[in-house]
Amino acid sequence: MLSTTSAAYTNGPTTTKSSSTTEHYDIIIGGGGLVGTTLAAALAKNPTLADKRVLLLEGAGEFKGFDASGPYQNRVSAINKNSIELFESIDAWPHIEAARYKPVKQMQVWESNSDALIQFQHDNFASDVACIIENDLILDAVYATVRASASNVKVLNKSRIECVSLPGQTGSVHSQVQLQDGRNFSCELLIGADGANSVVRKQMGVDVFSLNYDRMGLVATLDLQPEEAGDNSVAWQRFLPTGPLALLPLTEQQSSLVWSTTVPHAKQLLSMEPAQFVDALNEAFCRQYPRVELADLALQALNSFFGNSSSQHLRQFPPSVRDVQSGSRAVFPLGFLHASSYVCQGAALVGDAAHRVHPLAGQGVNLGFGDVRHLVETLAAGAYAGFKLGDTQHLTKYDRKCLTKNVPIMLGVHGLHTLYSTEFSPVVLLRSLGLQLTQNLPPIKNFFMRGAMG
Amino acid sequence: MLRSLSFLKERSITSCRPFAGTIARKSSEQQTAETAREVKHHENLAGNWWDKKGPMGALHALNEIRVPFIRDGLVTRGNVESRYINTTKVLHGQRILEVGCGAGLLTEQLARLDAHVTGIDLGEELVKTARAHLTDCSAELSSKVQYKMESIEQHTKSHGEHYDAVVVSEVLEHVEDKVALLQDCVRSLKPGGSIFITTMNQTLPMWLGGVVLGEYCLNLAPKGTHHWDKMISPLDVQRILDTMNCQTVLLNGSTYDFWRNTWRWINSTQMCYALQAVKEVPADCN
Repeated sequence: MLSTTSAAYTNGPTTTKSSSTTEHYDIIIGGGGLVGTTLAAALAKNPTLADKRVLLLEGAGEFKGFDASGPYQNRVSAINKNSIELFESIDAWPHIEAARYKPVKQMQVWESNSDALIQFQHDNFASDVACIIENDLILDAVYATVRASASNVKVLNKSRIECVSLPGQTGSVHSQVQLQDGRNFSCELLIGADGANSVVRKQMGVDVFSLNYDRMGLVATLDLQPEEAGDNSVAWQRFLPTGPLALLPLTEQQSSLVWSTTVPHAKQLLSMEPAQFVDALNEAFCRQYPRVELADLALQALNSFFGNSSSQHLRQFPPSVRDVQSGSRAVFPLGFLHASSYVCQGAALVGDAAHRVHPLAGQGVNLGFGDVRHLVETLAAGAYAGFKLGDTQHLTKYDRKCLTKNVPIMLGVHGLHTLYSTEFSPVVLLRSLGLQLTQNLPPIKNFFMRGAMG
Repeated sequence: MLRSLSFLKERSITSCRPFAGTIARKSSEQQTAETAREVKHHENLAGNWWDKKGPMGALHALNEIRVPFIRDGLVTRGNVESRYINTTKVLHGQRILEVGCGAGLLTEQLARLDAHVTGIDLGEELVKTARAHLTDCSAELSSKVQYKMESIEQHTKSHGEHYDAVVVSEVLEHVEDKVALLQDCVRSLKPGGSIFITTMNQTLPMWLGGVVLGEYCLNLAPKGTHHWDKMISPLDVQRILDTMNCQTVLLNGSTYDFWRNTWRWINSTQMCYALQAVKEVPADCN
């Protein structure tokens, strides 16, 4: 692996074998994904940090750009209000608005073993619950901001981190990064935005709690039956015993699918003929599973207690799927991961490098964008108080802010996953009652909505 | 308590006379011995001074509030050009004297905001440590920072009305003759310049929390670091500064949460406090 990658770089312009020279930056971001690139843009846009030199290391080649007239892409994110505010603050939002995105007015969540159902929306649909945006469009928008601040942010493509050394271990003043092609860099602060297998995190030596869910997520872009779709502004999620199935609106007649299921089932779905796949999908949304009678009875009692007769109960059904776009199906593994601390002397973690959650509540990338906001705020306040960028004395503030915000959400999402991956009757009963109570009691519902939607 | 207050009264009266500080020093041998003991006590810690998790941990944490206090104090006085506000050059061009700089924890941080900082301390080991840290870990600041092993009394002689700000942070509670020290500090200040003081109040909660609990139970600071006799209330500091034509413009109370190593501002000066006073500009200068 190592030899092949370094061989591939030999025709690049900067591969003079002078590994002794070390280039210095104030901040190096390892990983140019959604969160890493957004962080680079946010650092460049902060007035206090504007004089800092930032290097963004990205393993892949140059970003191809985004074509807003092309077909919809299969990797999309449900972006909440806080994240949109972040995009607005770094001037990336107009770029997204000018291209394409779909506001979600309502979210309906229901399950397979009882009638329990919950709907999230703002009063009178006054504002959006979330926006569904293609990941590449977000990347395109933040890259535009990064390019506009090219004087202090440098992007280095095809640069994979070989090894990292941090001041806490070496006793040196700076953090050091060596790339696989032998180039060396040093910095005041190294930020690990390098995903769930973060090299930076491993070197930081923080405790990591991780779980493999033995599930895979399958994504695809779908065409809906036009007569059933309406304005297609509802996000649908049904919990099946194998995992949740979600339909996120893209346009009036297209939606994006996120289907979490067992590994063999995911592989089977991936290799099916399109027509077969569409049938399997439509069935999954409508199929009747073995009911837990007691749970249904309890729900009826609960609903009558709140004065809702079952006929008033506004159960909606998602539009049926007509077709799947060819080549849009892809699978990815699902897991849970959390680092006990996001900082150490000379380094910090953001996004999936620090935490990874199940996609069922659409929280993953929003937590990452939350990290970006808190980290930039903390670094700016620290720099304005004369702290070195990598000083743990001040970085700890970022750690505290993020942990208090992220841990409850992560536990909540993990709890939901666990709660809904069983057909055990007492659990079905309790979760159904819990969901219905939440649906019927606005204060509780608003509490969860605030948590999930920022 | 009574004893120390009467001591202060006597001092503030004598200090009204010119050069009172140098003339009226009583039992100067005793005082020199006491100063030497204090310097020695702090010098013994020189090796651990920069260790954030060491005995000076609380002092590192104090930077979170004292740097912004000094920074915003200078900005509010209108001494900072607006283009530098909100940038890391906010203290550009400011000449700051730090009295009792120790190993330079605060000194470096003020210099990182582009101020020219002179740090003086009586401890030879401390000044050595401060210089070594500057060259080894913060070389980029070496043109901004100067360390000198000398007393404020000596320093003022060659630097009268020289500084935009004088900082006396966590020092007053180690000094016997506070009036003389403050007198010399004020002399080195330009008219219109600010003196910033942070110290601990002479109250029972402070003594119980800071000395009994902090030094003897929790080891937050080495035993024998602080003494009741030398603590001083903000009102007394204010009165002393008044006699030197320095008007107190800001007084903030602060406290230390040892369980999370964090300082925060509070609505009471019962524990610790930070004070800013401004030296009067003589009328004929206007």
